[in-house]
Amino acid sequence: MAARRFIVEPRGLVSWKVRLLVPVLSVIAALVVGAIFLALTGENPFDVYGQMVDSAFGSSRALSETLITATPLILTGVAAAIAFKMLVWNIGGEGQFIMGAIFASGFAIWLGDGAPAYIALPVVIVAGGLGGAFWASIAAIPRVYLGTNEIITTLMLNFIALSFMNFLIFGSSSPWRDPAVSTFPQGRPIPESARLPEIFNRLDGGLFIAIALAVGAWYLIGKTTWGFEVRIVGDSADTARYAGIGVARKILGIFLLSGAYAGFAGGLFVSGPVGALDPRSLDLGLGFTGIIVAALAGLHILAVIPVAILMAALVNSGPALQSIGVPTATVTMLQGAILIFVVAGEFFIRNRVRRLEPEPTPEPVEVEAT
Amino acid sequence: MTSDAATPLAAELIGIDKEFYGVKANDNVNFLLERGQVHALLGENGAGKSTLCSILAGLYRPDSGEMHISGAPVLFKSPKDALAAGVGMVYQHFRLVANLTVAENLALGHPGLDVRLNQKELQQAATELGQRYGLPVDASARIWQLSVGEQQRVEILKLLYRDAQILILDEPTAVLTPQESKVLFKTMRQLAEEGRSIIFVSHKLDEVKQISDQVTVLRDGKTVGGVATADAEPKDLARMMVGRDLELPTRKPSEDIGSVMLGVSDIHVQSDRGLEAVRGMTLDVHEGEVVGIAGVSGNGQRELAQGLVGLRPLTSGSVELDGVDITHMSVLSRIRAGCGYVPQSRLGMGLAPGLTTEENLALKAFRRPPYSKSRRLVASAFRDNGEREIKEYDIRGVRPGLPIRLLSGGNLQKALVGREVEMSPKVMILRSPTRGLDVGATEAVRNQILEQREKGVAVLLISEDLDELMALSDRLLVIYEGEVVGEMPTEDATAERLGLLMAGQREGAS
Repeated sequence: MAARRFIVEPRGLVSWKVRLLVPVLSVIAALVVGAIFLALTGENPFDVYGQMVDSAFGSSRALSETLITATPLILTGVAAAIAFKMLVWNIGGEGQFIMGAIFASGFAIWLGDGAPAYIALPVVIVAGGLGGAFWASIAAIPRVYLGTNEIITTLMLNFIALSFMNFLIFGSSSPWRDPAVSTFPQGRPIPESARLPEIFNRLDGGLFIAIALAVGAWYLIGKTTWGFEVRIVGDSADTARYAGIGVARKILGIFLLSGAYAGFAGGLFVSGPVGALDPRSLDLGLGFTGIIVAALAGLHILAVIPVAILMAALVNSGPALQSIGVPTATVTMLQGAILIFVVAGEFFIRNRVRRLEPEPTPEPVEVEAT
Repeated sequence: MTSDAATPLAAELIGIDKEFYGVKANDNVNFLLERGQVHALLGENGAGKSTLCSILAGLYRPDSGEMHISGAPVLFKSPKDALAAGVGMVYQHFRLVANLTVAENLALGHPGLDVRLNQKELQQAATELGQRYGLPVDASARIWQLSVGEQQRVEILKLLYRDAQILILDEPTAVLTPQESKVLFKTMRQLAEEGRSIIFVSHKLDEVKQISDQVTVLRDGKTVGGVATADAEPKDLARMMVGRDLELPTRKPSEDIGSVMLGVSDIHVQSDRGLEAVRGMTLDVHEGEVVGIAGVSGNGQRELAQGLVGLRPLTSGSVELDGVDITHMSVLSRIRAGCGYVPQSRLGMGLAPGLTTEENLALKAFRRPPYSKSRRLVASAFRDNGEREIKEYDIRGVRPGLPIRLLSGGNLQKALVGREVEMSPKVMILRSPTRGLDVGATEAVRNQILEQREKGVAVLLISEDLDELMALSDRLLVIYEGEVVGEMPTEDATAERLGLLMAGQREGAS
């Protein structure tokens, strides 16, 4: 008998249909596996999935909550996507997000009530971006000029940023801490003028700013000479050098831009739903989830937007499921399953599995290697 | 079809099909290899030679078709199986471990070996094999210490150490001097006389004529024909390969050459390892002149070219372009000053493999109109100029929106050279511009180089292909270990004379 009946071979050219179909099938496969697991634990999968959809999109309130969570995910997703696409492994979105929140709330508090909204809001948002870029620069500069490993440095900087935020609120009487509350320490509310106006339930204008920023990143990378240079560097650094492009500066630029986007997310989150540097509301892993969003979006900047919304739905359905007695861990498991299936699906995007034609020689001699 | 049981063929491939990405690399190919013969496999790039060899060597499995070794049907699942059946291949890119010794490389993966290596025994075996087959190597040397020619010997010894009966050599002469090629041919003859069979893959018709007993020609994945070498004229073989008559362009002597366009004086350049790779080279290239640099690979070619275009700093010396000192200019300033460069590695340096053909054609020109206006890219300029250049330079196989790496080697090179030409350079530096290209693409690239010369461009052609150098250059320089060891007008050059200089033998005062 022939040893193998199926062979795997690279597809080479991948049509957009395959690009789209494979992730969709992957998600379906993950849901089927999840359903089996749910059934085994005695739940009715249809009820659970129905409840999930309902809690994410079922009412205008649910929808607005989903979009609130999606807003920072769009930006941290873009942050990861632009960096990864250029082979800059910035996994410090979490820390850059927090530093963005610290900068944004700091500037808002420093400006105080006096500043009108048309000054305070732009300042706060830009400050968020600056904070993220600053935090990224600590890893980016040694990466570019000394060749340090940015995976390790950005990861470590996440913990430092988190501890620093905790220090500002729990460990010191910094201007970020609310002096009015003496019981459990919490962040000082930022002035109303620095808050994004609500437009639909609790949903604020941050969503539109995030979408605009995502489109801006897409335009910058895809349609400008700077973006073209960055894409050449990302494709082949030697080719970029050959074409007269300053490779170090481009890598530094994309690294800082990535940090700035994660920082924007922090700034918008503080200026929007949270309204203070509040560790309990900010330490949600939105920076890390952004990496998952970017991966699921195939590192396509515009695809990040819908993926972030779906991911937000998945994140938000957790607490709702608890109300019908399903553990939150189930939702985490489903998230993990979807990620693994989609990433594994990449294999089928790149390769095709084909059935081998019946062997032409009736009885081939298997040559044994000793 | 099966031969008489008395004298089975060494190898028989019948009706081999192999498809990649919907392209038939091998389409019903038949290949019969007789025992004790040197069998040349001829064909343009993409004709399916490498695929066929890789199938015989067990690297690929055919989609359909039969393979027999010594009359017995076989099915190789890996190169290991093929080796066990006595079939081995020397690839163009050697499969050696640079940090191990020659003897250790011989032992690597050998089935009959003990866990504990007996270095002395191994080295002795390697030395003996080398002496017997005219492949002398220092068995205790580490691979990285060896020249390319010596590494090739190790590859062949590896196969002989396993007593391979069928040896596949994929373009073995591409990396050798003429003298080294002669030595290799002698070894091939000796192996054939012993009853081994050799498949010799080549583009070079004169070599095929010289060494082989039998020729099989492939074109577009199909067997065009098999003939005894003695009955075949090079011209006929060329026609079989390409499917039409063709003449490789040669230079007409120029009536007048202009002023010095590229002036290089006493430059020193270091290699990646920090060793001095270019040791005081001085040379001039005039307007409308092609200066050829001959030399065995690894004698400073890479460092010379990279030093001239600004990719590698000069430790001393100076470079002038059209009277302007460019010694300390950046790569970009040199591009703007009119310095064109076709590097040896097409996908590694000359082109961005993942970007589209249109984007690659604008890889240097994108900073200025029409490609961009106030730092915004103009999509229509990319498209329109791309379409025009694809047509003008006859770049085939382009599909819009798809990465350029999917093109064949010849089309990649046509795109790369075309893009450099479009920049209207004053000086053009080319490294092995037709290496690995088929006859048709070679013709196109050579024509392009000569056209540039007519236009007054100063061309510096750095190549290991003596035929190419002799056909295109007005003047030839030979380099050895980072120094210019000889200079002559092309009319005075012979392969013999160049070969000796390339091997490091200095002439008297000539």
